[in-house]
Amino acid sequence: MSAPAPAAPARPLPAAPTAGRRALTARRIAWTAGGLAALLCAVLLSLAVGARAVPPGEVFDALFRGATGPNAEVVRTLRVPRTLIALMVGAGLALAGTALQGITRNPIADPGILGISQGAGVAVVCAIAFAGVHTLSGYVWFAFAGAAVASVAVYAVASGGRGGATPVKLALAGAAINALLVSVTMGVLTTKASALDEFRFWQVGSIAGRDASVVHQIWPFLLIGAVLVVSVARGLDALALGEDLAKGLGQNVAAVRIVGGLGATVLTGAGVAAAGPIAFVGLAVPHLARAAVGSDHRWVLPMAALIGPVMLLVADVLGRIVVPPGEVPAGVMTALIGVPFLVALIRRKAAVA
Amino acid sequence: MTPGTRVRPAGYALVRPRSGRGSFLLHRRAAVTALCLAVLLAAVCVAYLSLGESFVAPGEVVKVLLGQPSPDDLIVGTLRLPRMTVGLLVGLAFGVAGALIQTVARNPLASPDIIGISQGASAVTVAALTFGVTSCTVLPYLSVLGGMTAAALVYVFAWRGGLHATRFVLIGIGFAIALRSVTTLLMTKGDYLVAQQAQIWMTGSLNGRGWDVATPLSWVLLALLPGVLWAARAQRTVSLDDDTATALGIRLGRVRLGLVALGVILASVATGAAGPVDFVALLAPQIARRMTRTAQIPLLCSALTGAVIVVLGDLLARKLLSPTELPVGVLTAAVGAPYLIWLIMRSRSGGKP
Repeated sequence: MSAPAPAAPARPLPAAPTAGRRALTARRIAWTAGGLAALLCAVLLSLAVGARAVPPGEVFDALFRGATGPNAEVVRTLRVPRTLIALMVGAGLALAGTALQGITRNPIADPGILGISQGAGVAVVCAIAFAGVHTLSGYVWFAFAGAAVASVAVYAVASGGRGGATPVKLALAGAAINALLVSVTMGVLTTKASALDEFRFWQVGSIAGRDASVVHQIWPFLLIGAVLVVSVARGLDALALGEDLAKGLGQNVAAVRIVGGLGATVLTGAGVAAAGPIAFVGLAVPHLARAAVGSDHRWVLPMAALIGPVMLLVADVLGRIVVPPGEVPAGVMTALIGVPFLVALIRRKAAVA
Repeated sequence: MTPGTRVRPAGYALVRPRSGRGSFLLHRRAAVTALCLAVLLAAVCVAYLSLGESFVAPGEVVKVLLGQPSPDDLIVGTLRLPRMTVGLLVGLAFGVAGALIQTVARNPLASPDIIGISQGASAVTVAALTFGVTSCTVLPYLSVLGGMTAAALVYVFAWRGGLHATRFVLIGIGFAIALRSVTTLLMTKGDYLVAQQAQIWMTGSLNGRGWDVATPLSWVLLALLPGVLWAARAQRTVSLDDDTATALGIRLGRVRLGLVALGVILASVATGAAGPVDFVALLAPQIARRMTRTAQIPLLCSALTGAVIVVLGDLLARKLLSPTELPVGVLTAAVGAPYLIWLIMRSRSGGKP
């Protein structure tokens, strides 16, 4: 088993640098603009669609003109927080996944497989079972602390031995810590039946029923995490070439891994705390983003931050209308909608990044 | 200086039968490791049979195993032996399945419980439980069916003029996440007793498994033995890089398909017998490989490691909180993961997967 292949550029570098570069930049700008437009549409849908359909005009009035009435109330008190959380969580998880795939140079790395989401999960289970915490805003801090502890543990294990935290050691350490955490979760759930009854609803992952206080709790963390991840964009590019080359290019590899990993942890922790362990966004969005704008992380990261919320918002909106009058949680819908996208994308590419 | 010594790679011994015809290379460290693991496994099995609610002297255990009359026939032969046999076989099967799939995928994170087999089995089984099928004779077959169907779907979607390793794994993970979402959704729909039953099954449990499970499992695995022997040889060729393998005249596509199919069947059958005992297939091959320090994942040592993990895990699961019995899946990761973590932390090779 060789080390996982580094992310290959989506297209070979063109022979004529200037003309090719211009075309590439144009393509990147076009994709980013498209992503932005899609995001605006998704936000509008999320504010307008649901058990009570609100026309776009009234949405606008409710937001900017202080309109009154039931429609405006629904938009302002229920849908605005929900949409904000989807925006934040989607962007956060997508950025975290991109950073983790870059750090471990493993195309299947994501917050779930590397144990960070599971760390948050264990903390929430323990909060329910032993600390008597039963509210969403109460879960937040536990989830956050759990994610942080799990990440530190993964990095500590991977940097033991010779050679420091290599991609393979990071990936394996993540898998091993994840396994341990799952066994703790299962242990608590199979012995404490009441905890399972509550936890199974958090575990699905949903952005419904969160009030504005959760938004206030997590936005600073998302901002810090995003800044950390974006700050190592060049370092991630260098890492994709391999450790030795990255060092040769003057990158401090350990610093890139630690800062990027810290950013990914903060983002995952905040995302999982707000919406539960929503799978798939962190895994699939980086691949979609790379397919759109190539392998330069200065473009991939913003693109991921656009695609992530689009995916989550569209999933959430569809979840509202699939089985009326009930709702399918966003965490389920992301996977069901995302899989066809991922399959199509991976089949289209000759070599998988 | 015989001719054999000059071409012998380091760490191998040349084994020549007396007849002088034919010879093969034996990796010394792997052979010693396999021997040690076999002794350890035997010791763990005897401990399993003698410890429990009532202690049976190891001498008596051996008596029962040899078929001699003994007062402890009921406890050892009827209660503990079938359950241990299931655990042993499930461990062997998961170990081999994990080794094969990780080899083909060239990614240590790829294992049956990541690429959708366990999730397919879980989805079908939990659906059956939710809709009121509880018969223990039907469920195992349903889960085998679920696992194989999931794998077949992944294969169909990942096939594009060949089976590209990363493509297969990525699409597998996509399906796994989608199926897991469906399962968690089903768990929120059913009442909470069903959720608890599903949770225990999904954790993997040997509780109440008797000869009715052990006997068919033994026959199936025996029937698969020729395939495993073929795989042991074929596996080495797949772990080379594609170009080398193709240049050597190996039909990569067919060999890969064969290995993956075998891994899927083994994993599905084991899942049918005991539920998806997560992480055994992920941990066992990695532990075995780090013990033998071979270039490929050693098949025999993976199988033995898997068996040790499951039998030891179930022994702890029975004893730890007795009289409450934990599902074995809670303890397998707790047995295997710390050891893998320790191996990673003291690893002498930096970047080896």
